[in-house]
Amino acid sequence: MGKKKNSLTPTTFSLLHATDFADRLLYNIVPPLKAGMIVIADRYAYTAFARDVARGVDRAWVRDLYSFAVRPDLTLYFRVPIDVSLDRLMARRIKLKFYEAGMDMGWSLNAQESFRIFQGKVLEEYDRLVTEFGLSVVNASLAITDQQQIVRNLVSRQLEKPQLEAVNL
Amino acid sequence: MTPDKTEVTEPKSDGKEQSPEFGANGGIQAGRYYGHGLPYVPIEHYPGKIIAVEGTDGVGRSTQIALLREWLEVQGYGVVETGWTRSALMQPTIELAKSSNTLNKLTFVLLYATDFADRLEKEIIPALKAGFVVLSDRYIFSALARAGVRGVDRAWLRSLYGFAIAPHLVFYLKIDVDTLIRRVLSARGMDFWESGMDMKGGDDIYDSFRSYQNKLLREYASMADEFGFRVLDARRPVDAIQDDLRRQVQAFLSNSDITTDNLPGQPPIQPT
Repeated sequence: MGKKKNSLTPTTFSLLHATDFADRLLYNIVPPLKAGMIVIADRYAYTAFARDVARGVDRAWVRDLYSFAVRPDLTLYFRVPIDVSLDRLMARRIKLKFYEAGMDMGWSLNAQESFRIFQGKVLEEYDRLVTEFGLSVVNASLAITDQQQIVRNLVSRQLEKPQLEAVNL
Repeated sequence: MTPDKTEVTEPKSDGKEQSPEFGANGGIQAGRYYGHGLPYVPIEHYPGKIIAVEGTDGVGRSTQIALLREWLEVQGYGVVETGWTRSALMQPTIELAKSSNTLNKLTFVLLYATDFADRLEKEIIPALKAGFVVLSDRYIFSALARAGVRGVDRAWLRSLYGFAIAPHLVFYLKIDVDTLIRRVLSARGMDFWESGMDMKGGDDIYDSFRSYQNKLLREYASMADEFGFRVLDARRPVDAIQDDLRRQVQAFLSNSDITTDNLPGQPPIQPT
């Protein structure tokens, strides 16, 4: 609702996503973890760390905001240059969404240009997260089958570890 | 009754990601951010003032605020009022969430924080910039108290609300639970949320109200020093409380740099 009216600020954007995350964490992530299952999450708190900081939210604040989250046992970061991601989106004729392109920041009225500026900042933040949280980087410019092989190797190695244990961030 | 002991419902800020104390940089300063703030919104030297009136449900806040507003406006101050769940962004969502049963305490805390953030950026900060007196019916302290009694980590809550601006004045309308109960019952009766029925302390609304409000009052009391509350005895007649409020507000505003549009002795603006 807020998104449609283009009325979110960087902080309300961040807090609404944290609320949604908290809800999914409590209902969809923690119960299967308690049951000993594997949870595959398409995006996690790290998305917020990168995206919200790119919008100007305080780095330490957003990390503390998500301190209720369970720290993943393995985090895969699919790294791709901006041009490649933009080409892929364009090839599928996907219209860039307002917030996805960072249009709320007013850096450019052109969606593609805005996307390029915004995602550039997002990628910088991701690079910081790789070292800070030990993310496993997968080169997403590779062929899909090659990427999948890398992912399977990383996951296998993780599963061979003696115990799956959820740890707080 | 016993809260579920999962590691996620009780946010902890222990370990290396220690949250900064409120006002870690030289104590709390009125008109400044408590914590990390909004890095993209500088607020230094804004002429407006925030006056918050805090206190539990049914203590008489809105009556006092209405009287204070009228008095300030007569003196020529521009006044803006704000209060919980009045944000255009979040009000419908919060009302919906309250009427259903899908929210837990953590998502509730975050929804309220979103409501506050929206009002801070869209109402409070623009009003401060334009030199208004912002009268806030409750501020972050009610949110801190409600979440605190529900077992949410206090350090995490303070970090969460680190984007809030420290008010110039915080009045706390203090009351005892017996007086409060009689007042609420004779006015409108006990409500589900004000009675803390979500905490599932039992089916008796009277017992639940008493126990919940007692906890809330203790929580407010524990914040009085931390946040510099000016405590007013809310058991007195409305006029007596209002006199106290006006005296303190007057003393503060007359020593401040805020301006009114009809200062005594100033010639009225001539129509051109």
